Amino acid sequence: MIGTIGAGLGIGVVVNGAVQGMARNPDASGLVQTNMILGIAFAEAVAIYCLVIALIILFVG
Amino acid sequence: MEKTRKWRWGINRWFVLAFIILGFIAARLWPPVLPDIRLPAEVIFHIGNFGWTNTMTAMVIADVILLIIALIVRRAANSKDMIPRGFSGAVEALLEVIHNLTETTAGRWTRTIFPFFATITMLVLVANWTELIPGVNSIGLIEKAAVGQPGFAVVQSFLGPTLTPEKGEYTLVPLVRTLSTDLNFTVALALISIFMTQVVGLRALGPKYLGKFWNVGGFFKRPIFGVIDFGVGILELVSEFSKILSFSFRLFGNIFAGSVLLFVIGTLVPVFAQSVFLMLEFFVGAIQAIIFGMLTMVFMSQATQGHGDHEEEHA
Repeated sequence: MIGTIGAGLGIGVVVNGAVQGMARNPDASGLVQTNMILGIAFAEAVAIYCLVIALIILFVG
Repeated sequence: MEKTRKWRWGINRWFVLAFIILGFIAARLWPPVLPDIRLPAEVIFHIGNFGWTNTMTAMVIADVILLIIALIVRRAANSKDMIPRGFSGAVEALLEVIHNLTETTAGRWTRTIFPFFATITMLVLVANWTELIPGVNSIGLIEKAAVGQPGFAVVQSFLGPTLTPEKGEYTLVPLVRTLSTDLNFTVALALISIFMTQVVGLRALGPKYLGKFWNVGGFFKRPIFGVIDFGVGILELVSEFSKILSFSFRLFGNIFAGSVLLFVIGTLVPVFAQSVFLMLEFFVGAIQAIIFGMLTMVFMSQATQGHGDHEEEHA
């Protein structure tokens, strides 16, 4: 559960930067959005590692 | 311009109401039980010494669905009409988005990289969306529960033997389980993806591609920083292995957690609550498929660029 704090903060920072970039330069919206989705995936993956370890502890052994 | 009709309440709301009432009745007659959540895939039957697991059934189903989609789209593409309509149009729209993404990132190597991106995306998309079909994960074989696992009693109903939430000894092994919840599938796909990234890098740069990992060229130009460059090269090697782990666990964790969520919600609130989470799973499945493919494409195009072309820009 504690691991998800980091992911939540991380995704918030990524989207903050992306939205500010889109506000400054609306023409680059598509490019910024693509890279934002990429960044969100990386940040979320770390939370998923935490979840997988929790599932392993719960269901195996 | 055609005259727009005034929107009116239609007939669909009666269908939804009918299904909700049917859900109430069904939840009373056959109350749902929590299925046995196991990490490895369960074996359904044996062929000699080889166990055929329920995720392999899902794999065959996903392959058949993909082949049918391919044949439908091919027939639409070969017809005289230049604009595909309906389902083929939707597939064409998806592939066009993927192609544009690949072109902006990869440039010259689009023809090599695009098939990997598109194939991985379509396969993982179909594999993720099979868990939304009713019947997957719920219709299966009733087997004796293993020692230490919760068991339920079996009741005969007109659907066949059904589990009821009283203590007993039986548990359900689903006939079809979502393909992406099998760690074998995700690790295999990640290995293929990273291995082909190395192949594309070698095709693009030749043996100099290995200089990314074994970076001794810096020793001669700038001796002190050469050591740091060498360390960076070793770190790149380690990061390739961590990419394999990260790919496989990202897809596995998202879809497995989603299916566990669907089970638990379906057991706690049997009527209508699962529909909201089905929408979430629909979205998550699509996003994870695109992310897997997009990361493969990004790593492949980074492999074709190498160290020297950091300033390469696409207008």
